[in-house]
Amino acid sequence: MSNKLIGGLLAAALLVSACGSSTPAVDQPTAAPDAQPTEAAPGGEAIELRVWGHQAPAFNAANQAMFDEFQKQNPNVTIKYETFPWDVFIQTIQTSLPAGNTADVILIPGGYTCRYATGGQLLEVPADVVSLADAQSMFYAAPLGGQTCDGKLYGFPAEYNIEYGGAYVNPALFEAAGLTYPPQWSNWDAVVSDAKALTQVGSDDVMTVAGLHYTNSDQLFTYFLAGILEQGSDYFAEDGKHFNFNSPEAIATIQKLIDMAQTDKIVDPIIFNGESEWVGESFAQGHNGIGILGSWYVGDARIAYPDLSFDYVALPPLMGSTHKFASVGGWGYVVSQSTTQPDLAWKLAAFLGTDQTNVYNFNSTSATIPAMKAVAADPKLLEAAPHMAAVLPILDAGQYQGNLTDSDQLAYEIVYPTILNAIQGAMTAEEAANSIHDDANAMVDASN
Amino acid sequence: MTSFTQPQTRPGALAAKQRRFAYASLAPILIYLAVFSLFPIVWALVLGFFSYTPIRQGSWLLGLGGQNPFVGIDNYIELVTGNGKPAEVFRLAFGNTFIFTALVLPLNLVVTLPLAVMLESINERFKTLFRAIYFLPTISSSVALVIIWSYMYAPGWGLLSQMVKAVGLVPPKTWLQDPTAVYFGVPLAMLCVVVAHVWQDFGYNLVIFVAALQGIPQSLRDAARVDGATPWQEFWLVVVPLLRRTVLLTSVLTVISSLQVFVIFQLLTRGGPQNQTQTMLLSIYENAFRFANNLGLSAAMSMILFMLILVLTVIQFRLLRTEWEY
Repeated sequence: MSNKLIGGLLAAALLVSACGSSTPAVDQPTAAPDAQPTEAAPGGEAIELRVWGHQAPAFNAANQAMFDEFQKQNPNVTIKYETFPWDVFIQTIQTSLPAGNTADVILIPGGYTCRYATGGQLLEVPADVVSLADAQSMFYAAPLGGQTCDGKLYGFPAEYNIEYGGAYVNPALFEAAGLTYPPQWSNWDAVVSDAKALTQVGSDDVMTVAGLHYTNSDQLFTYFLAGILEQGSDYFAEDGKHFNFNSPEAIATIQKLIDMAQTDKIVDPIIFNGESEWVGESFAQGHNGIGILGSWYVGDARIAYPDLSFDYVALPPLMGSTHKFASVGGWGYVVSQSTTQPDLAWKLAAFLGTDQTNVYNFNSTSATIPAMKAVAADPKLLEAAPHMAAVLPILDAGQYQGNLTDSDQLAYEIVYPTILNAIQGAMTAEEAANSIHDDANAMVDASN
Repeated sequence: MTSFTQPQTRPGALAAKQRRFAYASLAPILIYLAVFSLFPIVWALVLGFFSYTPIRQGSWLLGLGGQNPFVGIDNYIELVTGNGKPAEVFRLAFGNTFIFTALVLPLNLVVTLPLAVMLESINERFKTLFRAIYFLPTISSSVALVIIWSYMYAPGWGLLSQMVKAVGLVPPKTWLQDPTAVYFGVPLAMLCVVVAHVWQDFGYNLVIFVAALQGIPQSLRDAARVDGATPWQEFWLVVVPLLRRTVLLTSVLTVISSLQVFVIFQLLTRGGPQNQTQTMLLSIYENAFRFANNLGLSAAMSMILFMLILVLTVIQFRLLRTEWEY
């Protein structure tokens, strides 16, 4: 009897826990099964909408202002804004979305939208809110690509993530090196020339200031893809799913990245990389003269280092004369399949992501590049965020990075460490390209 | 004179009531264990046989099947012989985890045992004070510890580099990021993490050793002295053998905790440089939560780690088994 009782208890417990963590089968991606369509705030009924985002001071300040305004316009709606550190945020949506236990609206990174949309965990944007055709005329192709899957629109891009085409420059270091400030580089050789003058090495042979810090993980990945595109090649194989990472253009790009460290010695990749001397913090501490990083860091830098003097300036193309780059898309507002208030959730998402005034306020407050063309063309934007002048002219040159199977694994486990190895002298450009090519395609094969 | 008599009940009736009470008392903890310990273990075991990721739509049965198909032992075969990057990194991590544990265990024991003996020999007031000081890193947040050691290991201006320079030596260019800095076959970055981890962790073993030393009967030490033993002989021939069970316990605990160290690696080196400090737990984490397609593979990794801990624990218990009590 005792065994039966204990067995029964265990079985019951397993059943309860199993049911609690089951993945809901979703067949209707456009509406929650138990959704109760509402006009916004019908009959004054108190409604709470939950919104999730990651912890970024500038983003949060911009969002909170819009939430306040939305609540003013919809007095019976309360918005509960929950933010998480980056790693926790990614883990949370990865486990909560399939479990159907998320916020109503999520500010999600562009590269993640299709991952969840194709699994039926996000709602498609209803055509009466915004059609795909309208969205295409409203937003740049690259950020919109991050919110579009198989020809369906799943969200509104809040920003245009661009890690390319601009760099932070330190006026004090330029002045100390006797260089023209602000720099106006006509080609990459000019960048390297200034970087050489900015580089400082201590008496113990330890580099104290990197002239050009380009060896961060996101930057190596971005410029690797951009270098291939700038030379007129493509990183996708003909089937559009596998990769072509050992092309002559890919090898040439890696070689250039190696040469800047080993021949020009404008960065010591052992000290300055993705794990040590992260480019933003390193720049703020005066440890690099030119730091390649997305303009999104302007907002965070102003909050974290209010006394920091810097400018964000345009960079020329790395491998040719024409700008061309791939973008992860950018953060965007999506609506969870599990929301019980889909209409209201879309109303909020549209309020945040398609209202030109709000989008302008978000981009100018968070210092992020607009995904919305009209906002990018607004002359007031440059008055509010002059640093954007560096990249606004090249926004049309960007393309969505495409379906990289697992963009994080490709970027952080395959491309970045391999190129860093090459830059540190552990392998040649050709070996690195072949290694990336094999590993990336093995990743694609493993996912099939 | 009062006499007490047991109430007349049928034989076995009270035992049945007692059993019911026992089951009712045990039920909450059994349910707790089943939900939070047994189910995750069984779930990980099951997931290891599927190509599973929660973002793909599976069948009604916990998302298994459908787009998350059953693959048998393919995940294990991939981890052992596969050419994919996750498998390649995991095999590297397997070796790194062994190196880390092999360094931490003796270093921890070499530090803690003599320290415990010294603590035992000082004045009671200081004993408490030092015990608290040595235990402080153990109860400190790992994140705080990493911040401290980041300053210690900072290249050039870091405290350790300054100390090395102060004694006229040349410090390494960087303590944590140079893949070419390898000493006696062990990467410098790994040695740095070992030191930081032992510094944080040795307080536990210290407290256990102090308690064990206090439990050794004074009569045995006195007998040794009467027989003419020197203090060193008393320590080596009397105290150390009597601490064998404690050494077993601390060894097992240290090995288990070393195999499961995560935060310090994640925050101090993130597995770098060139995967020289990549551990099994980091690989499991990255494949489960950082990359999207590999929860089944990371479940298989976690089962391998589980088996490894189990086997090492059994071996240690057998090697250090004693047949006596004191």
